[in-house]
Amino acid sequence: MAALLRSARWLLRAGAAPRLPLSLRLLAGGASRLHAAPFLPAARAGPVAGGLLSQARLYAIAVEKKNYLQEEPSSHRKNASQFDWALMRLDNSVRRTGRIPKTLLQKVFDNTCHSGSPGGNQALLLLRSCGSLLPELQLSERTEFAHRIWDKLQKLGTVYDVSHYNALLKVYLQNEYKFSPTDFLAKMEEANIQPNRVTYQRLIAAYCNVGDIEGASKILGFMKTKDLPITEAVFSALVTGHARAGDIENAENILTVMREAGIEPGPDTYLALLNAYAEKGDIDHVKQTLEKVKKSDLYLMDRDLLQIIFSFSKAGYSQYVPEILEKITYERRYIPDAMNLILLLVTEKLEDTAFQILLACPVSREDNLNDFGSFFLRHCVTMNTPAEKLQDYCKQLKESQMHTSPLQFTLHCALQANKTDLAKALMKALKEEGFPVRTHYFWPLLAGHQKEKNVQGIIEVLKAMNEVGVNPDQETYINYVFPSFDSVRSVRGVLQENGCLPENNVFSQAEFRSEAVTGNLSYVLSFLESNTLPFSFASLRGSLILGFRRSMDINLWSKITELLYKDGRYCQEPPGPTEAVGYFLYNLIDSMSDSEVQAKEERLRQYFHQLKEMNVKIPENIYRGIRNLLDSYHVPELIKDVNMLVDREKIDSRKTTQLTSSVLESTLEKLKAENQPIGDVLKQLILVLCSEENMQKALELKAKYESDMVVGGYAALINLCCRHDNAEDALNLKQEFDRLDPSAVLDTSKYVGLVKVLGKHGKLQDAINILKEMKEKDVLIKDATVLSFFHILNGAALRGETETVKQLHKAIMTLGLAKPSTALSSPLVTLYLEKDDLSAALEVTIDCYEKYKVLPRIHDVLCKLIEKGETDLIQKAMNFVSQEQGEMTMLYDLFFAFLQTGNYKEAKKIIETPGIRARSSRLQWFCDRCISSNQVETLEKLVELTQKLFECDRDQLYYSLLKLYNAYSIFLKAHKQNIVLNNETYGSLIKLLLEKDSFLQAMQVKDVAETHIKGFTLNDAANSLLIITQVRRDYLKEALKTLKTALDLEQTPSRIAVTRLIQACALKGDVESIQEIQKMVNGLEDSIGLSNMVFINNIALAQIKNNNIDVAIENIENMLTSGNETVKPQYFGLTYLFRKVIEEQLEPAVEKISIMAERLANQFAVYKPVTDLFLQLLDSGKVDDARALLQASTLKSLLELIPELIEKEEAYTSIMKSYVLDKDAASAKALYENLTARNIKLNDLFLKRYAVLLKNAGEPVPFTEPPESFEFYAKQLKESRGNPL
Amino acid sequence: MAASAVRGAMALRTSASRPVAFVRKIPWTAASSELREHFAQFGHIRKCIIPFDKETGFHRGMGWIQFSSEEELQNALQQENHIIDGVKSEGTQCEHVLWWSQPVWIHILFL
Repeated sequence: MAALLRSARWLLRAGAAPRLPLSLRLLAGGASRLHAAPFLPAARAGPVAGGLLSQARLYAIAVEKKNYLQEEPSSHRKNASQFDWALMRLDNSVRRTGRIPKTLLQKVFDNTCHSGSPGGNQALLLLRSCGSLLPELQLSERTEFAHRIWDKLQKLGTVYDVSHYNALLKVYLQNEYKFSPTDFLAKMEEANIQPNRVTYQRLIAAYCNVGDIEGASKILGFMKTKDLPITEAVFSALVTGHARAGDIENAENILTVMREAGIEPGPDTYLALLNAYAEKGDIDHVKQTLEKVKKSDLYLMDRDLLQIIFSFSKAGYSQYVPEILEKITYERRYIPDAMNLILLLVTEKLEDTAFQILLACPVSREDNLNDFGSFFLRHCVTMNTPAEKLQDYCKQLKESQMHTSPLQFTLHCALQANKTDLAKALMKALKEEGFPVRTHYFWPLLAGHQKEKNVQGIIEVLKAMNEVGVNPDQETYINYVFPSFDSVRSVRGVLQENGCLPENNVFSQAEFRSEAVTGNLSYVLSFLESNTLPFSFASLRGSLILGFRRSMDINLWSKITELLYKDGRYCQEPPGPTEAVGYFLYNLIDSMSDSEVQAKEERLRQYFHQLKEMNVKIPENIYRGIRNLLDSYHVPELIKDVNMLVDREKIDSRKTTQLTSSVLESTLEKLKAENQPIGDVLKQLILVLCSEENMQKALELKAKYESDMVVGGYAALINLCCRHDNAEDALNLKQEFDRLDPSAVLDTSKYVGLVKVLGKHGKLQDAINILKEMKEKDVLIKDATVLSFFHILNGAALRGETETVKQLHKAIMTLGLAKPSTALSSPLVTLYLEKDDLSAALEVTIDCYEKYKVLPRIHDVLCKLIEKGETDLIQKAMNFVSQEQGEMTMLYDLFFAFLQTGNYKEAKKIIETPGIRARSSRLQWFCDRCISSNQVETLEKLVELTQKLFECDRDQLYYSLLKLYNAYSIFLKAHKQNIVLNNETYGSLIKLLLEKDSFLQAMQVKDVAETHIKGFTLNDAANSLLIITQVRRDYLKEALKTLKTALDLEQTPSRIAVTRLIQACALKGDVESIQEIQKMVNGLEDSIGLSNMVFINNIALAQIKNNNIDVAIENIENMLTSGNETVKPQYFGLTYLFRKVIEEQLEPAVEKISIMAERLANQFAVYKPVTDLFLQLLDSGKVDDARALLQASTLKSLLELIPELIEKEEAYTSIMKSYVLDKDAASAKALYENLTARNIKLNDLFLKRYAVLLKNAGEPVPFTEPPESFEFYAKQLKESRGNPL
Repeated sequence: MAASAVRGAMALRTSASRPVAFVRKIPWTAASSELREHFAQFGHIRKCIIPFDKETGFHRGMGWIQFSSEEELQNALQQENHIIDGVKSEGTQCEHVLWWSQPVWIHILFL
């Protein structure tokens, strides 16, 4: 054939060629039309055989070219937007990284399938993605993927046209998929699709790729019969074809043939030839050809060279790679191509070559900001590259400073992919390199096995930990090991069998903890009893507390506490059992909520008493902490029970300063014996006894020395008796107290304590008397007092003490000690709700409304009525509410009750009642309620059901909802569970976080929102807030972007946000940004409330900051003097500029501005700037400069220069201030007279200043001096002026 | 019913804001002891939590640190980037959590 080719030139010229090789004959035939063929040399999009790398750039264009709108019916808008979304995701990926990750393609594919009937363009997009854009996939996998897509979409009803078949062909070529072109054509024919030029071209390439010139020639024949033009792509394919057929000579000759046919070989043809040489390992020819290309006006790009490298490597000639690498220029834009090739090489198991290329990549190594090479390492892990190789790569990457922590990163990948062996090897390597290997590195491996309950796997990991020298900690066992077994008890045996039970006590601790947290206290006790290992009490504390709270067996509580306290194994070490157990009790109570403690009050009391019996003691300081806790939980009754445990002896030895009761007692007796006054000592002793909660002793003492008792002693005693629930003595003491001094007043809490204890013991009249006394003596009623009243009433109600509740409530109301409120009246209803007497409960609620205009617990009443199905009573309640408070309120009450009881269907009906409107306060109330009782589901239903509610401020609803709940943790939870919140929820959350100045968290939410919600937007308020925050954080570029986004959405950002941004830009000297903002808000100034002066001031300031003072001044002057002012001179306020220039101490600017202001005043009669500047100078204390500004330096000339100035309040006030500072009484006097002569009303600050000045100068004040302070008037004046910008 | 009514009515225990920093972008190699070690330079650390995802065995790159005092917290917040475990690429960042409260600790603990 070679001989024939040699003569081809002649034959071509001859025009007839019976013996010409088929392909060339056909070419010759077509050549006459080649000149006319409309092919563009620049369009190098055609598929070169093995053209693996150059797709990225053309990808998006290719998709755009295909005018998809034509083939889509216009009604398929949803499809179109779906397509946009898919295109955007894929296109983004290709642009950024030159490839598409498999997961992304899979996701887009799944999404497309879900969308119903995917359009032709989506299909095209997906098919085209299955070729060289998936370098991380094996060639065969890619084709499989393409086939999967093809079949699935066809099933879903996608109609394929020739472009789809062509796309599939291209994927075949790129993936070097072996297929029969004739079958392919037959398939097309079957589907009644006409192949076009591109189809033939690609089929030729397919034949050529396997070196089948015969086949290629057949197709060329078809093309010829159809008069299709032959393009460079075909020639390039033939180059490859001949070369692969082993006929390099003919491959070379194709170029000549091309020229003769009038086509100059382009880069694609040369590339085909170069690849052909490379595949043969012919470096010399490659180099020669490259030289030749270089000399011609053709140009090979980096990506072409990269392809040659691929050809060399794949054919097993990687030794030549460095020579080609040298020739690469490494323009930054080819880095995605290089990355792509690297991944491909790894996929082809040519990772060493890949690594060579990686090392040659021009990444900046100095800044060390970005690690480079992670993509390579990750892909190596995926492709199961041997650990030794990976370690070596890591070492080199680190040495070459491309990556700061390659080993750790690779380990991360290995763990994510659950590759135990690789992870193990890498951890060993880390250890050798001197890096720590931490326990939690093994957790991902364990988590993987745990999911499958793979005990063997778990054991292996534990063994691996042992090998690397890492000891599992408690978390490891509890979170990952135990859950893999059916029961915790069985773990120990299995580990022992396998020899991985550690010798230390961590395992036992973990066992202990996992039993304790389930509340299995009998296990805990037996464990502690039989345990022989040294345990620190501190290590057990957390588990014990959880266990205690989950078990109600008080006997076990006590036994365990006693054991810990007394047994030598646990807390005998310093600080000793007293401290340890005391601290434990404190933590136990601290970990409980107030309602939990209230509910368990009796049990806790038993517990403390049993501890007392067991002689367990706690230090006094810890007791005080517990006391405070109990106080804050509203269970002070428990205080005395804890007090019993206080270790008295310890107090003696430690607190020498505080006299103990025994010392005081002997002093008392001594004094008494000496007949000296004992009042003070007695009181002191009583107080000490009270603090020791020793009621008995204190009462005896009081009885003994009754005549010496003072008021303070009684007060403490009364309180002590109240705490000890001793109503009898408390009342007696109170009477004695009154006799001692009828006018003496106890403090509020002691009165409340008395009311409580008396009420509890049925001494109702006495309790009411105390309330009366509180009223008579005008005792201070605080919010806390009202809260205590509520607790007293509620406690009585829960105990079912009807009379107590009714009478005390009535007394409090009649006496007016507290205003009627829903809360205070609620115990009245609680009485009946507790007894399930719903009819009475409703009765009382209604009665409360009639008496106090409140409807206590109506919601709870309704809920119970609904639960019990009491339709008549519901009707009654609804009639009443509707009559008294209107139908709307009634509907809301009913709505909430249905929601609360889980009757969502009924709730939905109610809220969809025509005409119902949103009542934010009611909705808010219900939100609060749900949150305080942690009813997430109810809350979600509320949000769901109110979706269509008229005028419902959704934003507010979400906002309040999030605000009350822990917004961020909701978000985290939702995010973790892959729950996508809706736009407004994300918006509210972001706003909320911004308000709390949690900028980073807000941004994190925004990122998530943006990935989940296409076209995610924030509303006006949130965007404004975001701008303000960004400005505050100095993220001006981002702030500008936010502003632009907001404006694009036709939002109106707040004035303050825009102003802040402008000001911040000005201080940075960023004139351009300010002008950009000006352009952006053009036409919106009025709705934003933005004055043009904001721009003028800030542009000038920015220019000054840039040292363009003259430009700034010139601009301002022009604006004021050109005659076509946009702002009238009297409104041309430059105060901001002046203030900033002065504040920022831009001295040269101040000077020049002064000159400008003067000039404007003197030459153009524009006085506003000089006035403003003058005032600013005065305000910033630069009195002298202010003077200098007004050269004449006297009031007279000032007034001549600016006659209207004197009438301005700001002016005369400031001038007076400057006179005061100068102690210049004469000038002040002149000013005063001038002003009074003009009948100007002078403000108090002015008069005050003048008066003080006169007084100091010893002169009479001709008016009444204003009585308040300077600050007072200054503040007054400021407020009256409002808050100028 | 009674207990929830009480709470709903008025007695929500007010939870004072605590000096807690929210830390994010924690490298995967660091766990709570590394975090604790790093932040100890700013003050005494009372609690330090990095919740791990038990499904994957990795943490999610964020954690919470409670200092003993507001001042110590401020010390930590002063520093813009925290380099934990030698990872420089993305400095770990921390910020104040104003709305921190006891229930949140508990919530996080059982996350």
